[in-house]
Amino acid sequence: MGQPMPAPSFASIRVGDAPEPLRCGPLTRTDFVRYAGASLDLNPNHHDEVYAQANGNKTVFGMGMLAGGYCGRLLTGWLGQSALRRLRIRFASRFWPDDVLTISARVTGTREADGVGLVECEFTCVNQSGEVIIRGDATAALPL
Amino acid sequence: MDMNAAGRTFPAYEFRVERGKIKEFADAIGDPDPIYRDADYAAKTPAGGIVAPPTFLRTFLYEPRAASDALAIKDWSYIVHGEQEFEYFSPILAGDVLTARERVVSVTEKESRRAGRLHIAVIETVFHNQRGEKVQVARRTIVETSQRIRD
Repeated sequence: MGQPMPAPSFASIRVGDAPEPLRCGPLTRTDFVRYAGASLDLNPNHHDEVYAQANGNKTVFGMGMLAGGYCGRLLTGWLGQSALRRLRIRFASRFWPDDVLTISARVTGTREADGVGLVECEFTCVNQSGEVIIRGDATAALPL
Repeated sequence: MDMNAAGRTFPAYEFRVERGKIKEFADAIGDPDPIYRDADYAAKTPAGGIVAPPTFLRTFLYEPRAASDALAIKDWSYIVHGEQEFEYFSPILAGDVLTARERVVSVTEKESRRAGRLHIAVIETVFHNQRGEKVQVARRTIVETSQRIRD
């Protein structure tokens, strides 16, 4: 494997900056099952079609924190692995097999505090119809 | 939902952050970053080793059910995970042994035009590592609706 990517410098960050959006999917039931095993989220609504339908759902649906994990992945890939200070994920809607999720983020503010550069950003996860699945915001600290 | 659960605390629980579990989690969210898999690569990063992804600790909130049991939820098909927040104080490295302490922060009621009466509980989990350093705080908001959630 190569050398670690350097984190972006705080001086290079501007309000409105945005990483290349992350596209995930089309999602499969296998993706849900894999996340169930990895995360121990064994709620049968996410992997058991019979149970999910008996519960009034058209089929199994994805775990909110799977989409939340995609959001975290976009942020760490963009701002660096150890940069995050805070991450808030607000669940707006559910997602389903065959959905394609797109995660986007943008810088909403920058300030210096305690010898580091703090970057505030907001992010969304939307499905292929533009319906919002997650809204969130995060704070990252970058070296000055 | 027990509206008097606010303030309740629960016995601490301890677990080891396994390297294989980090890789499995990174695979499940499709993250190809070598910092989750390659010890030589990870040693050259600021964290100095294989680290946990930012949403990884959600994984350890499913097993101890004490806090959610304390809310006395009768039917989980009325429950939605409304919000999840993390605060990060120090990286969590593969091999760390974490101690988690859970607390019900608040239980409130709210009227929603779309979903009727809602009961909203916030549960906070504070994680310390084997050196006693606070590494992370997770806060989850769970919402009990007055009707079954359907599409």
